Amino acid sequence: MSQTFILEPDIIAATENVMPDLNNDLVLAKNFLKQQSAATGDSLYDHLVDVVQKILSQKPPDVVDNFEQYSWEVKQEKFRPNFDLLNDIYLSPPQLETVRRIDEMFKLVASKAVKLDDLGEEEQELDLEEDNYRPKIQDLVDHNHYFREGGYGLANSECYAVYIAMIMLGIKESVSTVRFFGKIYGTRANYYVAETDLTLEELDRRIREFDLKDMPGEGEGEMEELKPPAEEQQEILGEEEGREPVSKEPVPPKLPPEPKSTWVPPVPIPVERPGQGVNKKVYWVCNRPGDQWICLPDLSPQHIKVARLSVRCMTGDLDAEVVTFPPFEGSERFYLRAQIARIAAATSISPQGFFTFGSGEEEEDLDMEEGGDMQFNLNPFYQGHTLKDLLDSNLTYWVHHGRHILKQGRTIWWNPNAEIEEGLEEEDDEGLPQVEPEVGPNLFTPLSEDARIEGMSAWSARVSSTMCSDRALAIIRSNLWPGAVAYATNGKKSECMYVGWGLKFQPPNFSPLQLPAPQNEYVIGPEVMEMADPTFADEEAYRIAHLPPPPPPEIMGEGEGYGEEGEEDEED
Amino acid sequence: MNVHKLWEYQEYINVNGVMMTSELISMLQNSLTLLQVENHFTHIQYWGQIYAIDADYHIAVGINSDAIRDRKYFYTTDFKFWGLLPKAKKKYKQLSFLTTFPFRGDPSLKIKVLDEALEESHPDRCMTMKEECRLAATISNICDEAEVCARGQLIKQPSGTVVINPNYYGLKGSEAKLLKSYCHIRQPQHRWNTNLLTRQDYNYSMDFLDSIDQDIPSGCWNLFLEQNGTLVYVKSLYWPGMMYFHKVRTPDAGFLYVGNGRKNLDVPFLL
Repeated sequence: MSQTFILEPDIIAATENVMPDLNNDLVLAKNFLKQQSAATGDSLYDHLVDVVQKILSQKPPDVVDNFEQYSWEVKQEKFRPNFDLLNDIYLSPPQLETVRRIDEMFKLVASKAVKLDDLGEEEQELDLEEDNYRPKIQDLVDHNHYFREGGYGLANSECYAVYIAMIMLGIKESVSTVRFFGKIYGTRANYYVAETDLTLEELDRRIREFDLKDMPGEGEGEMEELKPPAEEQQEILGEEEGREPVSKEPVPPKLPPEPKSTWVPPVPIPVERPGQGVNKKVYWVCNRPGDQWICLPDLSPQHIKVARLSVRCMTGDLDAEVVTFPPFEGSERFYLRAQIARIAAATSISPQGFFTFGSGEEEEDLDMEEGGDMQFNLNPFYQGHTLKDLLDSNLTYWVHHGRHILKQGRTIWWNPNAEIEEGLEEEDDEGLPQVEPEVGPNLFTPLSEDARIEGMSAWSARVSSTMCSDRALAIIRSNLWPGAVAYATNGKKSECMYVGWGLKFQPPNFSPLQLPAPQNEYVIGPEVMEMADPTFADEEAYRIAHLPPPPPPEIMGEGEGYGEEGEEDEED
Repeated sequence: MNVHKLWEYQEYINVNGVMMTSELISMLQNSLTLLQVENHFTHIQYWGQIYAIDADYHIAVGINSDAIRDRKYFYTTDFKFWGLLPKAKKKYKQLSFLTTFPFRGDPSLKIKVLDEALEESHPDRCMTMKEECRLAATISNICDEAEVCARGQLIKQPSGTVVINPNYYGLKGSEAKLLKSYCHIRQPQHRWNTNLLTRQDYNYSMDFLDSIDQDIPSGCWNLFLEQNGTLVYVKSLYWPGMMYFHKVRTPDAGFLYVGNGRKNLDVPFLL
């Protein structure tokens, strides 16, 4: 063996004795391998050394099958820039950005938690008041656990971050309850949506703001907006009339009056005030947990109407333009709010008896105030249903607790003739046809009453586990709004959630609203209808038929004139 | 998704709020491993779920020598018996687009499909097909249009067979942001040199599949990065319920479809 390791110069010297020699061949081969490539300056010898070194040190299995891959990887490693040569550049991991965002949130929540603990120990008398102030936050982690048992829900990491973000929302904003509504996918970013009730003070403030803004606007504001164009026209006309005598130029032929639009804008349906109807809950969204929660604006019936007639994906940008037909007034935040309202109305479900009107204890004080916008609360006497009942395919044990949105775009029907009818009350109401009030299904209507989609019921119920029936729970998913699910255990827990694109399943598929038929420009009559010109023979026949009986030849020309006039009269 | 990695992958599922339950994963792993052994598959993957009225279908794919041509699809409703899906015929593929009513959950059910484009007296106007055939056709349609893999996940060997790359090391962060790095798992429909030469760094063994960035309309694929660009989701607007995830710089990737098997024809209006 020692012979093979003779130093190279010695061997080269030895080649002068021309004899076939193993060492010589070896050196020649080695020299060949050490030839540097012109392009890269590498030699195969070095490369093989690296490959063998990598294989022996890392000991991967079945190297022979993937040898090419290994060789390629070794080559690739050489191109890695060596930052150590530069002055200590540190590349921070990509997670840093998220960590910064979430860390801030965690610190805020943690500091608040400590404060509350301190209060609890030191000032126990004040504790009750503090408790009132503290918002009620849904236990998302717990609910998510049940959802995951049923095959839905958020990933654990996501769920926890969202939960902390909800607590942050409770700390930062004046809300009294926080509930996770769900997640809506967008093409560029997703929305996490929280559903909240405002605190009483905040709600009062918003109602006052709403009253100030909207009460005068309902009637007069619209009129003011409509008036100016008409007035301007009149003014212009007036000016022209004034000029006429001054100019004394040849008078232009008098034009027929400009056609006036007879279209009257439909009376705008009033917006439901904050805390009522579709605006009962206030929704907050953020793109990622830890971001600032952004409050979605209150909804007007017009938005719901248009949203029902169009399909669109969210983009993830609240200020994105919404291009639809019929036109949607407002940016994506309004569209998102409209979709959330529709989803909430259609997919808020709970087992029968889970919620109850009033407080549950005093059943008498059911107040029918404001046309059926009734309050409901958790039923303290709810005992749960058996799994068999919950999974029953008729779904009579599940009820809606979302208020149905009427065609008007409100949950409470608004009588468009109310103001006029008040005036006419004692007179005969001939003037306007009686408007049939729209009635939606009542609150707590069982799901069995829902419309069916193509022979399929709108909801499918599934059991979470067939193997261990003790742990099983009922999970029910919407076929109408894919992504909406609800669960109920046979104990006292139930919740619903939506994770999806915010698109309704519309079989067979969506067809956009047709453009209205074009209106007639003018009344179609003999004056504007196309008809054949009279030929010379016709004119001659006419002329001869209408010749005056005494023929004085001088008046012939005038006679024709009379004839023409007569013709016009007839046509009229 | 690779059946043997379902426990690791369950956190990455992100489609209409679906999560796999522990029971589902356990049952899938048990029954599919047995299925793999019986059929001598080199790979077995969980494909997804098709909603039906009575019981949902679960679908699995077995892969033998060729990862594109040699795929066998299996379905089950109860995890006890996995039935082999028949090959999807062209006729049924067309009919399955016309069928609007939901799946029933009974593979032997015969359904009638009315083709309203044909005249009333045409003999093919009303056709019958078994639900099994419809299921096969639907799955075949989804695979053709929406089943994707990251570039390099499948490689073509010099012999022409396509195999799952055993040394797949994942896309790089910058590549993962491009739709061009994701390919359809199907027989390529574009010309081979189109697929190859539209890249700067082309590679004969990787770039033989159609990339999804050429699909019409642009925007029908939704690429979304989460966790600071370390996790990529690809979703098709045409097939809501489809998702593909890939962890950047790792070989972890998986396809899943959970939905009612209906193509969303409203995509042009959505964008």
